[in-house]
Amino acid sequence: MEKRVVSLTVNGEEYEVVVAPHQTLLEVLKDDLYLTGTKEGCGEGACGTCTVLLDGKPVRSCLTLAVEVQGKEITTIEGLAPMGELHPVQEAFVEYGAIQCGFCTPGMILTTKALLDENPNPTEQEARQAISGNVCRCTGYAKIVEAMLKAAEVVQGGRHE
Amino acid sequence: MNDHPVAGKRMPRVDSVPKATGEALYTADLVLPRMLCGKILRSPHPHAKILNIDTSKAEKLPGVKAVVTGPDTGGVRWGVFRYTRDQQLLPVDKVRYFGEEVAAVAAVDEDTAMEALELIEVDYQVLPAVFDPVEAMQPGAPQIHDHVENNVNILVPIEVGDVEKGFAEAYYVREDRFTAVEHAYTQLEPYAVLASYDPSGNLQVWLPNASPHTKAKALANLFEMPLHKMKVRKCYSGGAFGGRSDIFPGEFIAALLSRKAGRPVKIVYTREESFTNVRQVHSHIVDIKTGVKKDGTFIATEIKSIMDGGAYSSTGPIAASVPFLVWEETYRLPNVRFQGYRIYTNKPIRGMYGSHGRGFLGGLGMQLDMIAEELGIDPVEIRLRNAMHTGDTQATGSKVISCGLSEAIQKAAVKSGWKEKRGKLPYGRGVGMGCNGMMVGFPMGIRGGSSAYIKFNEDAGATLISGVADNGQGNDSMMVQIAADVLGLRMDEINLVSGDSEVTTLDQGAYSQAAAFVSGNAVRAAAEDAKRQLLAVAAEMLGAEVEALDLKDHRVFVVEDPEKDVPVHRIVRTALLKNKPIMGRGSYMPHVDPKREWVSNPRGQHAGTFSFGAFVAEVEVDTETGQVKLVQVAGAHDCGFAINPMAVEGQLEGNVGRAGVGASLLEEHCWDNGQMLNATMLEHKVPLAVDMPPVVHPIIVESMDPEGPFGAKEAGLAGAMNLFQAVGNAIYDAIGVWIKDFPITPDKVLKALEGKEK
Repeated sequence: MEKRVVSLTVNGEEYEVVVAPHQTLLEVLKDDLYLTGTKEGCGEGACGTCTVLLDGKPVRSCLTLAVEVQGKEITTIEGLAPMGELHPVQEAFVEYGAIQCGFCTPGMILTTKALLDENPNPTEQEARQAISGNVCRCTGYAKIVEAMLKAAEVVQGGRHE
Repeated sequence: MNDHPVAGKRMPRVDSVPKATGEALYTADLVLPRMLCGKILRSPHPHAKILNIDTSKAEKLPGVKAVVTGPDTGGVRWGVFRYTRDQQLLPVDKVRYFGEEVAAVAAVDEDTAMEALELIEVDYQVLPAVFDPVEAMQPGAPQIHDHVENNVNILVPIEVGDVEKGFAEAYYVREDRFTAVEHAYTQLEPYAVLASYDPSGNLQVWLPNASPHTKAKALANLFEMPLHKMKVRKCYSGGAFGGRSDIFPGEFIAALLSRKAGRPVKIVYTREESFTNVRQVHSHIVDIKTGVKKDGTFIATEIKSIMDGGAYSSTGPIAASVPFLVWEETYRLPNVRFQGYRIYTNKPIRGMYGSHGRGFLGGLGMQLDMIAEELGIDPVEIRLRNAMHTGDTQATGSKVISCGLSEAIQKAAVKSGWKEKRGKLPYGRGVGMGCNGMMVGFPMGIRGGSSAYIKFNEDAGATLISGVADNGQGNDSMMVQIAADVLGLRMDEINLVSGDSEVTTLDQGAYSQAAAFVSGNAVRAAAEDAKRQLLAVAAEMLGAEVEALDLKDHRVFVVEDPEKDVPVHRIVRTALLKNKPIMGRGSYMPHVDPKREWVSNPRGQHAGTFSFGAFVAEVEVDTETGQVKLVQVAGAHDCGFAINPMAVEGQLEGNVGRAGVGASLLEEHCWDNGQMLNATMLEHKVPLAVDMPPVVHPIIVESMDPEGPFGAKEAGLAGAMNLFQAVGNAIYDAIGVWIKDFPITPDKVLKALEGKEK
């Protein structure tokens, strides 16, 4: 199939990449832009490790074609703390022990950010529902849910030290 | 109570920031110059002779740089033990399961590699196959390995005391059969490997692994290379749960391709390959006969277990033994007969899983409740009466040097509201308990110990070097926390080098639950050694006796006169000038019986120490749909001492997911003539956040082990080996039926309820 040049906006930067029509956004992010923070856990949309934000909404980059997303704002995990200053969601995941092997972590954090942008004060059940498309095999989700709710407090109230 | 500056504190892990920012590199993320993509051709038959492989068309395809088949390997065989070397990692003459490796290619990109696989022509002679372990044991069944009759791969025979006499004297005896099907480890990271062979004869390998030294030694043997040229490198690992030890065809083939192509080769398995071609969890059939005295204490135990091992041995001797050993580590068993069979079938290979033996241990724990009911004893009480204690000797001869099992049982009972709930909740709701003991380390010869070293830099920071591996459970951070505590440093002042077989010294890895106890002890000893050296130099600088000094907050001071001190950075610099650089070294070898062997001699001290746990599960059963929901878990684990309580809780909560919900209620593989039908994450379901009990109470019990670092033992298997018992028993409490086949899915619940009504 003929390749074409597409222009992608990733983490606020413009990239021109040459892609085949069947190439997924995940492949382009990892193989062409070396944004390896986005993971491939299943390649069939079941595990959520490839989650990125598209205009602020979480999507599976393994099920999204690169040619579909021109003109949209793509945010990967690398775009969340560009200057090394952790986002409150990242901070909460670190502080409350929500990270074990870390393979689900980028997807979990981005999904949480999208949730808090839309609903800054989620209930525990809403938090669980929000990440029900993101598999974690290590933690049993308890500390992830705790970190999500702690991050919500910070996002709402500014930082209370 | 705890006066350690860092150990025992809830600390964010040292590896969590790179994981939160996406900076952490896993094997599939790695790229080397001129790297090729490797792909594997797999058998379409469960059992067949390979008559001929024609790779000529594939080799001619532009972009293909290497093609390998069995003859490229010289027929070399792999086995974890000398007596289990039954697997050619790229078979020469025969395939034994659907999906087994037949040939592999390395090409400039994935599309070319896939196209090349289609151009390889293989002639097979299909052979009769057998998929059921009981059928495989019958005379006349297809023979999977020429040297093995009746497909009996492993038989572990254990006989202690006088079992017949025990049954004869028993007040009550019962026999039950329990079963379980296979399921998947489902590490979130698919298996991947990057191999780079250079013209000087060095082989570098990156892969998720539980032990860089074990991988390096095995690959060095297979390629007949000296160990110093075989280098397993550090990378992040996306979960193991027991499934990243052993040696897999993937790493062998990647290395073979790299050597042939003269370029680095990366192989990343698909999710389907990760399910079918790494390892599955064993299926098993277990017959349990137990005799007890009137007071409910065990007098005789007879267990015959048949595990379906699939086509090759893998860690078979360990797999065949472990559930039984867990039982003898939990309770006092005076007379025991155990026959642990692992049988070859034409199915993919099975390995050791963090929750290995759900039907086996679930069955033992459920039968104990059946006995308790018959005798009119409370399930908590019968466990306390049989529980292991400090100073006890287990059935096969291991001495228990610390044991908090009774405390764990009592604390889990109180926290769960046992007294108010057991037998008293409305129909459809119930509670149940499960218990376990757990070996901390195995006898593994020279690989059963660990050593570590620490060097101080002139700015008073330190670098710690340990052979430990981290698959996500937090071993790396634990080592740093131990060293920081001894050396009076903050955790961020220590850099850890681990997981690299070239730089680090021998260590058993994240295997056999030994990281805290063995690697942690080695790190603590190395830190103590460095501290002694610091104090010795400081004593000269301060004109004081070494015994009069202590180290805290970056300074060494005279204990009686704390104003008299010297900062560590000055001690380090002075030591360099005096030609006494601060370089601590430490090691630890657990006290095990070196003659103990899984099959030939299963007696003697098996592990340096043992951890213990007791969990209570509360379930809600929907009697219309058969759906079982875990609503609360109270789990108490005697980890010895919690070096990082937050990490211990994380292990315990994780096991509620994998063992309590996943293995007990949800996860199973389906088969058709040896082919896995649900090798996808859409069809093999694992627990999601919404499937988890909303309330989990992690309870840490600290028995302060006399050998462990700060008293620590292990925390990884908290609940992993007892939640099936708790869930099975809770379901009985809820609806009054025993379900003896795992996982306990809605269809089985409904069938059991129908049977009850009749």
